[in-house]
Amino acid sequence: MDLIQRLALCVERGKVDRNFPYPPDMKDSDGASELTTLLLETGESANSILKRGLMVGMDTVGAKFANGQAFIPELLVAAKAMNAAMVHLKPYFESGEAKHRGSIVIGTIQGDLHDIGKNIVGMVLKGAGWNVIDLGSNVSADKFITALRDNNCKLAALSALLTTTMLNMESVVGEIKGAITGSMVFIGGAPLSNEFSDKIDADGYFPDPHTFSKYLSTLNT
Amino acid sequence: MPQTPREIVTRCLSFKKPERVPRDLWVLPYAQTHFPEDVGNIERDFPNDIIKPDYEYPASPIVRGERYAVGYCTDAWGCEFKNIQAGIIGEVETPIIRDISDWKSVRPPYEQIPDNTAGPYENINRFCANTDKFVIANCCPRPWERYQFLRGSENALIDMMMPDYGARDLIKAIHDFYLKEFEFWVKTDVDAIWFMDDWGAQNQLLINPEIWRELFKPLYKDYCDLAAANDKFIMMHTDGHVTEIFADLIEVGLDAINSQLFCMDISELAKIGKGKITFWGEIDRQHILPSADVQKGRDAVQKVASHLYDPSGGVIAQFEFGLGMKPEMAVAVLEEWGRIK
Ligand code: B12
Repeated sequence: MDLIQRLALCVERGKVDRNFPYPPDMKDSDGASELTTLLLETGESANSILKRGLMVGMDTVGAKFANGQAFIPELLVAAKAMNAAMVHLKPYFESGEAKHRGSIVIGTIQGDLHDIGKNIVGMVLKGAGWNVIDLGSNVSADKFITALRDNNCKLAALSALLTTTMLNMESVVGEIKGAITGSMVFIGGAPLSNEFSDKIDADGYFPDPHTFSKYLSTLNT
Repeated sequence: MPQTPREIVTRCLSFKKPERVPRDLWVLPYAQTHFPEDVGNIERDFPNDIIKPDYEYPASPIVRGERYAVGYCTDAWGCEFKNIQAGIIGEVETPIIRDISDWKSVRPPYEQIPDNTAGPYENINRFCANTDKFVIANCCPRPWERYQFLRGSENALIDMMMPDYGARDLIKAIHDFYLKEFEFWVKTDVDAIWFMDDWGAQNQLLINPEIWRELFKPLYKDYCDLAAANDKFIMMHTDGHVTEIFADLIEVGLDAINSQLFCMDISELAKIGKGKITFWGEIDRQHILPSADVQKGRDAVQKVASHLYDPSGGVIAQFEFGLGMKPEMAVAVLEEWGRIK
């Protein structure tokens, strides 16, 4: 297995760095952090590390999660490993040498504090090469609009876990679309559905982050 | 002679033919403040068969604020919650155990459990003696949720992947406290004790069931054994999709489970648990109860009954009057349960 495949495996399995105790069968071996440094030292480009290493690892674990073969903690450790690698790639993104697929603003809707699902969506998208601007939970339309403007971004993803707060989505979707021409607003969360998305004029409902990420990759951003 | 509410619930839990389905409506403060009059009428027309004693633990010096009010509040463990809507609960913003290696800093509120039990026992036992209702302890151990409150939800989930670096110790510290709390309650005259932990997301368990079996099932077994040794019923609440651990929950010795029946396949649950455990509600809080169409509530009751009801027992008409719900729906659901024979 070459270095970059090992990196992908570290991300998929959640091996953050050499000291990280998980997974037990990878004890005392290099993790995503060390392998990324090594790859950069050997001249691998940041873009290639992102695409052939981090994105591959996150995609595999994301698909397993979508099929019910992995659970939330597995995704969370994978994201932790990805983040450890991203730290080393940050300067390349800042200098413009490496490029994100695009930017997306994400947040849990006003009135709702459930953020575990939204965070996972953010992690999977980050792992798919997106620049994710996470506004946290209890987010108003104004905050979404400001963040979209500030980041010159047209994509927003809204999460709701309560049947009461999902109703806030209709006005937030309307306000965002009214304020930002050409914006697309996607929704997700346990109580939502395609019908609801159509009803509130959102650009799509997605049941899990993996399916969402696959869809986003088809967009011409 | 008609059966008393206590007898009805006891017979239901023991599969000894209660004369009707027992009732247990949970009213969130949200409903109380939005519909005080309706809540009063409902409580008069469909009185609960299950109640809690009025005994409260001694006030803790570190408790601050109101749990159900907007703003910040701190509980007896020192966990600080941020709430954004009155009448419902909030979430921990900054967990107090930032690094799991600091697990020893946890301070379970042992001071709340009285050393001298004589006074509290007299109160609680008097309460039990003066009611013909089924009395359930006024405490609610929640080892996994407490773990999350102490560590934050995401850290907690990650900790479960590597329990040997402090998580196991923290779980034990929490569990020891809850055992002590239960030891206090099982010596009273209450009919049942209960505990809770939300284990499911909408379509699957929050963690791998194998890890759950290793880390949490034994704790629940301890609670059930303690209840059995003291001749108490024991009941549990758990939200989300928990089909995968349902059989385990029966195996550890629970008498009743309150779960989100409607995010699972009820016929599958019936196969796993009908006749073995009591289904303590519920009716779907996500799609049915908040609906304006009360017929949906009636249909939901019929659905639960058709899968789970048996005249020998095993079903309690429980649901929550909470967020986004109208009093008419509560009445319709309770009326419909009254028709199940
Ligand atoms: C954990 C939990 C909590 C935690 C939240 C912790 C946190 N930081 O998020 C706490 C304890 C704080 C909590 C509080 C409450 N909760 Co709660 N909670 C849950 C529970 C058990 C699991 C939710 C969860 O984290 N799932 C795991 C994640 C990974 O799944 P997920 O969020 O569904 O996200 C996935 C997908 O939906 C999707 N997704 C999510 N968002 C998005 C966005 C996009 C764009 C896309 C593409 C995809 C996507 O991807 C994710 C990964 O697959 C659910 C039960 C359930 N059935 O879901 C109840 C549940 C959501 N809660 C409920 C309730 C009622 C409440 C309270 C009102 C309770 C109370 N008594 O006060 C409060 C409300 C607080 C508030 N103001 O928001 C109800 C909601 C009912 C309703 N009417 O809608 C539920 C369904 C439980 C029930 N019995 O019915 N809760």
